[in-house]
Amino acid sequence: MAGLAHGLGGLKYDPKKRHRPPELNVFVALVIIVLLFEVLGRLFVGDSFLFNTRESIDTLFNEARLRIIILQVAIIGIIALGVTQVIISGGIDLSSGSIVGAAAMVGTMFAQSSMNEYGMENTDPVLGMAFLDLPIIIAIVAALAAGLLAGVINGLLIAYGKIPPFIVTLGMMLFARGVANWTTKGKPISYLQEDYAAIGAGMTPVFIFLGAAVVMHLLLKYTRYGKHTYAIGSNEQAARMSGIDVDRLKILIYAIAGFLSALAAIVLSAKALTGQSGMGVMYELDAIAMAVIGGTSLAGGRGSVLGTCLGALIFGVIISGFTFMRLDAFYQEMAKGSIIVAAVLLDQWRARQQAARN
Amino acid sequence: MKKTLLAASLASALFAQAHAAETLTFGYAAYLFDDKFSTILRNGAEAYAESLGHEMIQVDANNDQGRQIDQVKNFIANGVDAVIIQSVDSSAAQPMTKALADAGIPAIYVNRKPIPIQQLGSMAAYVASNEIESGTLQTFAMCNQLRAEGKAGGARGYLLMGQLTSEAAIQRTADAEQVMGLDMCNFMTLVAPKTTGQWQRTKAQDIMTNWLSTGEPFDFVIANNDEMAMGVVQALKSAGIDMDTVVIGGVDATDDAIAAMKGGDLDVTVFQNAAAQGEGAINAAIKLLNGEKVDREVYVPFELVVPSNVDQYANRN
Repeated sequence: MAGLAHGLGGLKYDPKKRHRPPELNVFVALVIIVLLFEVLGRLFVGDSFLFNTRESIDTLFNEARLRIIILQVAIIGIIALGVTQVIISGGIDLSSGSIVGAAAMVGTMFAQSSMNEYGMENTDPVLGMAFLDLPIIIAIVAALAAGLLAGVINGLLIAYGKIPPFIVTLGMMLFARGVANWTTKGKPISYLQEDYAAIGAGMTPVFIFLGAAVVMHLLLKYTRYGKHTYAIGSNEQAARMSGIDVDRLKILIYAIAGFLSALAAIVLSAKALTGQSGMGVMYELDAIAMAVIGGTSLAGGRGSVLGTCLGALIFGVIISGFTFMRLDAFYQEMAKGSIIVAAVLLDQWRARQQAARN
Repeated sequence: MKKTLLAASLASALFAQAHAAETLTFGYAAYLFDDKFSTILRNGAEAYAESLGHEMIQVDANNDQGRQIDQVKNFIANGVDAVIIQSVDSSAAQPMTKALADAGIPAIYVNRKPIPIQQLGSMAAYVASNEIESGTLQTFAMCNQLRAEGKAGGARGYLLMGQLTSEAAIQRTADAEQVMGLDMCNFMTLVAPKTTGQWQRTKAQDIMTNWLSTGEPFDFVIANNDEMAMGVVQALKSAGIDMDTVVIGGVDATDDAIAAMKGGDLDVTVFQNAAAQGEGAINAAIKLLNGEKVDREVYVPFELVVPSNVDQYANRN
């Protein structure tokens, strides 16, 4: 099985892949799920999933729904971009959710304002009165630095400590959550500045997600960094033999993953107007699931940013679809679980077909 | 250092007791000092005990059940008059209950219910707030407000549950549903089945935005806690909805919720009075020592917080 899952890692031109990119399957799955909700909605709810049926509004589509579909997955989507390249490199990152918690606390600490949106005075700032109303760039840099640091530590331990990524990032998951709880002893951080809140307002999270996706797409597809990431995921020994500085690359990969988790933390805390140590719990698993649904192979060497974005969209469509169908939360979780397994099953089947053809 | 201090204070406390028989010494076993709610409770008990001229010695189990059992045994060995316990693990209270009963010392459990409650004998009691009240108070206040706004002909809304595995979420939801079943409040109906926001603000924010995308009109949102109520407030505000047209209720009276209520965005929340639970525990202990009968479960009422009384609840929990 391991042999089948290994792709060519973008090192060699493969005409079959050229004609039918693996993301196409994910896209088809997305379309099928959307159509399913459209049909079921018309049959059982008497409303359209995609189109606007209200006369008071003059649009073709139900734009509010299309917006929330992507908005609700944008933050975990940002994390998933980092997780995707980690998995492509043959690793795993379980620490991203906890890094979100820690970075959110560190960031919001520096983003406090002297007055809240209702004009009430902040009498109990975390860092003291001198640290109120700072330029928000300080909060952003602090949060990103915290995420970057956590990522670099992950990378150093994996590259030079020769500890499996699963263990290292499991350790970081506990450690970073501990840091998050320690910062304010569990107390939430409120009174965030308006400028900081603007980062999470409206559709800004989506633009940040798309911007990060474009950068990561270019990075993985067109740079040496990207090619080498696929290479070590396909065959680390061969990559090392051919002169790739595998250790340095791994540190960079985990550092970028940590950085993106911190970016997600900034957007999340800005959107919620609060920093809380419990933020991001289980996000790592949703991020991994988005990557896997999008065709990223846990065996390494295969996957793409485009696939992960489609995986995230599938997540969003399911959440909104179930609310639209007025189904209970219980079914939502079952469906999510089934779809993750179905996606990998389909992927394995497709890989076998391809191997048989070759 | 801490231990020496404790021993010294114990000794002096006992010494004092020998001279003035009416001065009682309470041992207070906290599950964790470093917890805001627990600290308010502890301080409430201490202030009340001192106001009556008694003494209270506090120990911190640091969230370790084994350590707490030893601490209680130490209290017994040092001859305190009564022991108040906020247990680390409510299902592991039995050894402490038994040790105290054997020594004939009253045991008062506070805030965390010992399981099973039947283990409490005639010299023991449990003091807390009754979870059944919070959801009932909240939903009933919302019902009244909707009536006052002239919506008694029919009001539609949503219900956001906490974590599905949480006892508080299940209880508060059941109570909300029960209130909506009363003759007086059955004009309140749900637009969509109740959904879990997992106690989280951001989850609630996304769920509310999803509900908004259906375009259904609605009049109220019941949330099992204030964090989710805040998520609802933020989702409605960013969608540009007039907050006066929707009645939103939470539970906990958190700082953010109090601020939102003062700002006119949140309509109802419920306050759990930690300090009063501390006082209740001291009262129960004194009654037991005087040979009076005390109910096995003593409940300190939850308090409703609405815009008219919100000012007195700022910075209380």
